[in-house]
Amino acid sequence: MNSLFYPIIIPFIAGIITLLMPKRIKFVKEIIALLTSVFVLSIVIGLFRLKPLSFTLGNTLLLQLDNLSGFVTLFIAAFALLIIVYSFGFMKGKDRLNQYYGYMLMTLGGSIGAVLSNDLICFLAFWGFLGITLYLLINMGGPDAAYASKKALIIVGGSDALMILGVGIIYFMTKSFSMAGLSLPLNNGLAIAAFLTLACGAFAKAGAMPLHTWIPESSEVAPVPVMAFIPASLDKLLGIYFLARISLDMFIIKTGSTVSIILLALGAITILAAVMMALVQHNLKKLLAYHAVSQVGYMVLGIGTGNPIGIAGGLFHMLNNAIYKYGLFLCSGAIEHKRKTTDLDKLGGLSKAMPITYISCLIAALAISGVPPLNGFVSKWMVYQGLIELGNSGGRLWVIWLTAAIFGSALTLASFMKLTHAVFLGQCPEGRCERQEVGVAMWLPAAVLAGLCVLFGVFAYQIPIRFFIQPSISKTITYPGMWNASLSTGLILIGIVVGFIIYAIGSIKNLRVDEPFIGGEPLREDMKVSGVRFYQTIEDIPVLSLFYRWAERGLFDIYDQFRNILFFFTRILQRLHNGVLSTYLAWCLLGVIILFFVLR
Amino acid sequence: MSIIPLFIAIPLGAAFLVSLFGRRIKILPDLLANLCTASLGILSLLSVGIVREHGMLVYKIGSWAPPVGISLVLDGLTCFMLVTVNIIAFFITLYSISYMARYTAKWKFYTLFLLMLAGMNGVIATGDIFNLYVFLEIAAIASYALVAFGIEHEELEASFKYAVMGTLASSFILLGIIFLYSYTSTLNMADMSNVLLAKGPGKIVGFVVPLFILGFGLKAAIMPFHAWLPDAHPSAPAPISAMLSGLLIKVLGIYALMRIFFNVLGVSQNTYFVLMILGVISMTLGAFLAIGQHDIKRMLAYSSVSQIGYIMLGIGIATPMAIAGALFHLFNHATFKSLLFLNSGAIEYSTGTRDLKKMGGLNSHMPVTGATSLIGSMSISGMPPLSGFWSKLIIILAAVQAEYYAMAAIAASVSIITLAYYLKLQKEAFFGTLGEGLEKVKEAPLTMKLAMIALAAICIAGGLLLLPQVFDLFINSAAKVLSAGNGYAKIVFGSIR
Repeated sequence: MNSLFYPIIIPFIAGIITLLMPKRIKFVKEIIALLTSVFVLSIVIGLFRLKPLSFTLGNTLLLQLDNLSGFVTLFIAAFALLIIVYSFGFMKGKDRLNQYYGYMLMTLGGSIGAVLSNDLICFLAFWGFLGITLYLLINMGGPDAAYASKKALIIVGGSDALMILGVGIIYFMTKSFSMAGLSLPLNNGLAIAAFLTLACGAFAKAGAMPLHTWIPESSEVAPVPVMAFIPASLDKLLGIYFLARISLDMFIIKTGSTVSIILLALGAITILAAVMMALVQHNLKKLLAYHAVSQVGYMVLGIGTGNPIGIAGGLFHMLNNAIYKYGLFLCSGAIEHKRKTTDLDKLGGLSKAMPITYISCLIAALAISGVPPLNGFVSKWMVYQGLIELGNSGGRLWVIWLTAAIFGSALTLASFMKLTHAVFLGQCPEGRCERQEVGVAMWLPAAVLAGLCVLFGVFAYQIPIRFFIQPSISKTITYPGMWNASLSTGLILIGIVVGFIIYAIGSIKNLRVDEPFIGGEPLREDMKVSGVRFYQTIEDIPVLSLFYRWAERGLFDIYDQFRNILFFFTRILQRLHNGVLSTYLAWCLLGVIILFFVLR
Repeated sequence: MSIIPLFIAIPLGAAFLVSLFGRRIKILPDLLANLCTASLGILSLLSVGIVREHGMLVYKIGSWAPPVGISLVLDGLTCFMLVTVNIIAFFITLYSISYMARYTAKWKFYTLFLLMLAGMNGVIATGDIFNLYVFLEIAAIASYALVAFGIEHEELEASFKYAVMGTLASSFILLGIIFLYSYTSTLNMADMSNVLLAKGPGKIVGFVVPLFILGFGLKAAIMPFHAWLPDAHPSAPAPISAMLSGLLIKVLGIYALMRIFFNVLGVSQNTYFVLMILGVISMTLGAFLAIGQHDIKRMLAYSSVSQIGYIMLGIGIATPMAIAGALFHLFNHATFKSLLFLNSGAIEYSTGTRDLKKMGGLNSHMPVTGATSLIGSMSISGMPPLSGFWSKLIIILAAVQAEYYAMAAIAASVSIITLAYYLKLQKEAFFGTLGEGLEKVKEAPLTMKLAMIALAAICIAGGLLLLPQVFDLFINSAAKVLSAGNGYAKIVFGSIR
């Protein structure tokens, strides 16, 4: 058997074994899951060093591990290991663990299968299968998750149905199902239709607008590890991986063409609209979910630029986003685990109670806001450079995209200020401030991810770009702007050290710790400043308030609109079916008369 | 000794025995019906091997040679249909053992069931157009009675509507056959095909085609001739709903239509286009109607209208790939639709309701029904890697290949609506909070579980039929018969000598 099969088949087999395992047997499920994910990770590391690899069946190139799919596979396997470890803590004592670990392992196998597939049919099969496991995993959240899971699968699975159409058109045009080296020009309606239908699949998976609505909806009800693993990291990797595949290998997107502008516009809208929604959220998980949507915009923008630096930025941002968003969700899970709520109103002052979670979450929050020298900054900076490059090479409208991207980044920072304040700073509600850090199984994955954020930021050019990003795109990346991460980090560190020294010399002797107070009076519980209301006023700004109200009514939710239109027709048809036999006979007669007329 | 007449003789004989002794010997109806369908299932699988070896078998009833006597024909298409019908009929009888226990007069049920099966096998195997009509009526009349089996108000009304409309269809079919007979002076399908080729189609074919579209289209529940189905299919007991929706509409409607249009009449491109349009209309409007339903079986019934649309679309495109896709979808739809009806029966058996609004959270109490129903739902919605995905894929690919882009796009979009209403079904019935008064619900009995698990396994493994060797043997050999068109006649007469 070809070695490329192992990382696909082994998780499937392990998943089925776990699924069929009776409830009584304890710990074995966890051990199987852990061993499988360790094994898959080690195989994938081995394969990554041997790349490129491929597997051919008959004349079709079925599986292929090249630079792009190689690094995506590597991170899928790594993330899977982290989530399994995290689940030991989070899912402990929960029901239906055999299903949970079983579906998780199948998700792992299916994702690796989708990434390695070069054959479009094979790809579609794995890709669609992931929709089913996602549906089942969201449903692990209990009875409340039924609606969200349904919505998720209708959007994700529905876009798969459209992808079949795209695959059909590609087969019609090229007489083959192979992805490699198609390079179809987007110069006729058919090719554009094929591109757009395939992009629909990528957008729905990654959660770009307008196919994003399932992510915030699921975030509140699905188990946190599921949200962290699938929509926040895995689906981003898969969706953007596929978008990169279709935009780089399968089609040629010309700068300034309609398709390119569609991509850029969707990216810009996604960034801004989702971050505006994030600003006004009251629930930690939902807030994170809107950011998960917003960040996709940068990746789409990066790939939409079509120049090497932009694409590299998009891919790098995909990786970085997967890392920090994953970390943020894991932290939210840790908070939920301890406090049994993720309502921002009921949290506060956790920095003392959960120091490791606090630090990990802070690093990830700074990274997502694009604060140097963390990884999010580097990739956003590359996307900006891509957009500027687009302007240099004659693209129109680039200023708009650039403004949207930068403005979105600022709003992201603002939104994470709110999050950090509401969750970790401020006062503890009801004085519950005792130290209650989560177990090592739960803080370790988040800490590892925070460490990666720093590592990939400080040594961006030395490690991730050199090993993963640059090899994935065939052209060399040229950097019009300068950013020397290591030097800057050094400077920042020196600044911090100097500041600390000044602080130590100046004020350490007359330090006084006291309860918070206002006007000499100790702060009471009802005077607590919650972060929730930081940006409430923006909901009252004239034009924005209208948009927020529309958004609340689901006017921007493609799912709701689709349903309204559908039920409009359904009601008409139902009225026609009145149950009277003579009506039905009249239809038959009418039908046959028309047939006689048509077929005469 | 040929095996072809056995497909008709065994169920007829079993029906006779059950009606004669079934009343007194309590165990006989269950035993005999299951033995009968099991042996038919095995025989049908054997026939695949026979067809591979001999190509085509013709059985002359009473040793009269074809143009004169009635012949039974076993070719690729026949054995494809026989396998589909008899295998699924076996699982349905298995299911009926427990399910029908709560009805009185099991023996009446099995008598009618076996008569219907004999009629369907007859329609499939016959090579004579009038004989086809006779078998069609046997199956249809048995099904009218079966729909009314519960003899409550609702069942009787549905059965009445079904009977009136079904008879309308039968009479139009008969009218068409009369016209053809008057023109060709023969009733043997192969001979008729030859005569039509020699004499030219003339105006008569143009006149007969709409009659047949109405007649067989009504049996197949193609819009706008579908209106009986949403009443009739939900009213019947669950195994019969499964039989009607899974098999009967395909045998009496789709199969007969395909056989006559492709192999006998050789109709024009125009007609295929009309079939395709009718298919697209049924597909779309059926899905629109299904999503508005709250009665689980009614939703499934409208879904049948919609899925038949996919099959008609494939037939209407009429390229070899599309026909293969349509046949594949026919087989898949037979499995998952009967599975879903059996699931709905299990729910009704355990909870006593068909109303989705009164259910909820059944997964915790009925894990087997829940899991198999999820597999069936995902399969019919075309989620990979289940069987429905592959057949829809082939149909859509074929539509694009034939440059019917709009049809392909509609087929893909309807697939989304299909997913939406099956997820609605899943959510309302199996997920979410437990419905009121359902705390003590129990899982269905063993034989019902076995039947559902077996059908779900076929849905999972359905994609394996795409393996080149299996696909050639099972589906392509059937599709080739249709693609051969008039070549059918040559092969029939060739295999007699």
